[in-house]
Amino acid sequence: MIEKKARYQNRIELLQGTLDLLILQTLQWGAQHGYGISVAIRNRSGELLQVDTGSLYPALHRLERQKWIKAEWKVSENKQRAKFYQLTAAGKKQLTRERSKWSQLSDAIAGVLQPEE
Amino acid sequence: MNFWRRKKREEELDAEVQSHLQMAARERTEVGKDKREAEQAVRREFGNVGLVKDVTRDVWGWRWLGEIADDARYGLRMLAKNPGFAIVAILSLALGIGATTAMFSVIYGVLVNPYPYANSDRMVHLVVRDTGGHRRYVELNGPQLRQLRQAASVESSAAMDGWELTTTEGDLPENVHAVYLTPNSFVHFGVPALIGRGLLPSDAPEGQDPENVAVLGYQFWQRHYGGDPDIVSKNIQLVHKSYSIVGVVRPRFTWGDGEVYLPLKLTADPVRSYFPMIRLKPEVSRAAANAEFQSLVEQFAKETPTHFPEHFRVAVEGLNDHFVADIGGTLSLLLGAVALLLLIGCGNVSILLLARGTARQHELAVRSAIGAGRSRLLRQLLTEALMLSFTGALLGVALADSLVKLIVNWLPQFSFPHEATISINLPVLFFSVGLALLTGIVFGISPALQSARPDVAQVMQANTRKMTAGVHGRRTHSILIAGQIALTLLLLAGAGVAMRGFVRMMNVNLGYDPHNVMSVGIPVHDNSYISWEARRAYFHQLLQKVGGMPEVVSAGISTNATPPNNGWAQVFEISGKPMAEQQLARFNVISPEYFAVLHIPLLQGRIWDESETTHGSKLALINQTLARQYFPNGDAVGREIRAPGLKGEPPFNLAIAASDSWFQIIGIVGDARDDGLRNPIKPSVFVPYTIMMPQYTQILVRTMVPPLKILRAVREQIHSVDADQQAARNVRDLDGWITTQPEWEQGHLVASLFAGFAILALALAATGLYSVISYAVSQRTGEFGIRMALGARRTDVLKMVFRSAAMSVAGGVVTGVVLTITLNRVLARWIQGSSLDALILVVVILIMVATAGLSCFLPALRASSIDPVVALRYE
Repeated sequence: MIEKKARYQNRIELLQGTLDLLILQTLQWGAQHGYGISVAIRNRSGELLQVDTGSLYPALHRLERQKWIKAEWKVSENKQRAKFYQLTAAGKKQLTRERSKWSQLSDAIAGVLQPEE
Repeated sequence: MNFWRRKKREEELDAEVQSHLQMAARERTEVGKDKREAEQAVRREFGNVGLVKDVTRDVWGWRWLGEIADDARYGLRMLAKNPGFAIVAILSLALGIGATTAMFSVIYGVLVNPYPYANSDRMVHLVVRDTGGHRRYVELNGPQLRQLRQAASVESSAAMDGWELTTTEGDLPENVHAVYLTPNSFVHFGVPALIGRGLLPSDAPEGQDPENVAVLGYQFWQRHYGGDPDIVSKNIQLVHKSYSIVGVVRPRFTWGDGEVYLPLKLTADPVRSYFPMIRLKPEVSRAAANAEFQSLVEQFAKETPTHFPEHFRVAVEGLNDHFVADIGGTLSLLLGAVALLLLIGCGNVSILLLARGTARQHELAVRSAIGAGRSRLLRQLLTEALMLSFTGALLGVALADSLVKLIVNWLPQFSFPHEATISINLPVLFFSVGLALLTGIVFGISPALQSARPDVAQVMQANTRKMTAGVHGRRTHSILIAGQIALTLLLLAGAGVAMRGFVRMMNVNLGYDPHNVMSVGIPVHDNSYISWEARRAYFHQLLQKVGGMPEVVSAGISTNATPPNNGWAQVFEISGKPMAEQQLARFNVISPEYFAVLHIPLLQGRIWDESETTHGSKLALINQTLARQYFPNGDAVGREIRAPGLKGEPPFNLAIAASDSWFQIIGIVGDARDDGLRNPIKPSVFVPYTIMMPQYTQILVRTMVPPLKILRAVREQIHSVDADQQAARNVRDLDGWITTQPEWEQGHLVASLFAGFAILALALAATGLYSVISYAVSQRTGEFGIRMALGARRTDVLKMVFRSAAMSVAGGVVTGVVLTITLNRVLARWIQGSSLDALILVVVILIMVATAGLSCFLPALRASSIDPVVALRYE
């Protein structure tokens, strides 16, 4: 059981920065619940990124603890009670930071990957 | 707190996951999938719900809390499954922790700042030590006290005096212990009154008589007035003088054990002396104060030489110094004893846990196999250990409460400050909790370390029952058992020494007969019977009245001579015999009946008669010790003896003219204890009570019935002579005088507690041994079965079981004896007697071995009566 759990934890660590960025970005368009977030990420990535629930929920709870997002119980359009997450002011700043970090990183990686001329 | 928040979050997480699943399923059904199929697909996609929740919870940072709760729950279940084990373990701990907590609270109460007074650490007693090292409290007269107050090292000083007064309201006068305090005293002590006010400077204005105001002691207020809250401005009559009550002191203000506190005015009379109270300035060291006081007191000694020894050093003492020296060692020794008891208890639980740990190896191996980490198992086992120790501590504290009461009852009455509150309080509770933690870790860690490392493959393959503990486990057992036995032996030896010393003291040859005799103290009021003749007549009349009662066999005056610790120590001279060195004897002032009342034999010469008493003839009897020591040729009778210090101080102390001149020795009496029960008998001199009559006397009364039964009748007789005359508080019979000697009380305390602790230790060690052997036997059932099937006899099996225990018992006994002999020095400092006493050692070893044998016998018997057929099927 321990090993299995450790595998999950490893994956969180691997994806941590990116997943956080994706969640924050998704929430920029408005409050959303966990399921909605995972669907949104999947759809916008052209079904390429499958967010694992074992990563999503710990990430949501961690972001909430860091006060970058806040949660509220609301009723969805389908009359379903769900926990909606929403960006906070600090979260918005964090999103900007993460985005610039990401673009730097992808530029750097692109630079490395570019075949020498 | 956390628990409720956590619970709420758990529910929220649950709901969150549920809503996720439902929304995902709905979306699928909306596109036309079958409902059940959709749910299954969603679950598959979601993954392990429990695991997702688990990793999410980890983010909260409370994982350890949940695990502890799990561990605790699991531990409780394990304990409930083995109630016998749990009870033995918890009781072992409760006894140890309870006894240690009790001892600690007594030590904390008595030795750690027991005083309620402001800056009590700087308050000192003025003490001088003579050349022989004897300490003596210094008393100063009015002018001297004024000078002392001016001294550079003194921040504040006050003075006190004490006397026995009496209420003159009831049918018989009741004794009231009055403490007279200079009116600055309450500022000096810095303790506000409980009700009303303390004494004020205006209560004793300069140059006038003090006001008739009184502050009540707390206990007296409770006893005499039933704690009346409206006491202020009521009056109390003391020796026909009416005092207005202005306040009640706080319960812990017990300075001088006063029942009433009255204003004291210092007089200029050089004879009248008072007890000084001093607080040093903050930066002044004791040594600096001693240096300053030395020259001051030397000057005082020139003015009033009788108040001081000839040569002395001033050595101020903190308020608690004397008590620490007196009882601190004893208490530390007892704390050491209970610490041993606690260690033995811990050993017991360790053994039980180890035994159980081996039995649980299978369980632990399974847990380890399905993924429990080593640290996780360690934590589980430690949690269980801590649960045991905290339960034990809880029970122990409850136990400690009654033990504290017992110890306080047995504490020598005047060897601890009465300001102390000895009870289970917050610091003590902290101590107990710390103790529980510590013991839990101490006894839990070694079994946990051993059990948390199961060799999975081996354990899982092995048959669950047949396993015998590995060599390593058995060695740990043997060491623990040996350690327990060694410590128990040490405790037993300590108890043996203490008891032997105490019994020796109880059986000491007293030299007098204390049974059916009581001593009635009679404090004479100020300004009454102040001429020698009047006081002589008064004492004589009191004796006549009491002696004439039908229940009384005989009665005599024993002003300062009630044994076993009696007389005034005086320097004395023998005529025609130059003093080689300072020779001291105890001078007793008595009436001639004294010897008959106490059954002390006259060995030589005669006793003075009635008319010689009346005239105050200068005649003396000496005890055998003095005769032997100073008249080795047996020529004492007829010689002359004198005490230069034997002088009166009218109007308090009335002496016959020339009381410091020569007395003729007219006889020798048998030796009787005069310096307590432990010290050798000191040289004693007996002279007629009319030689010296202080404001206090005692009448010794021998009766046919238990003497205290006629105390009221005696008080009535005294009352009939003088309507204001009370008997002193706490009249005791002479057996009571013996049992209130500090050495008796201390011996009693140490012997009883030590004996109690040793018995507990023995019981614990026996339980430990019994559990180990029982456990070993049950593990080896199969082996014994095979051996018997192959022809081993019962005695062989018995022998095998005993042999397995014999090594550790023998090791323990040897270690214990070595320990006892090594620690003899420490022990001997506080306990009379020596543990090197061969008899004690032999008895103790016998007791230990017999107990160990008994503990092994039952399991061994069980082993030897195994039916091989059953044993082999037992698998």
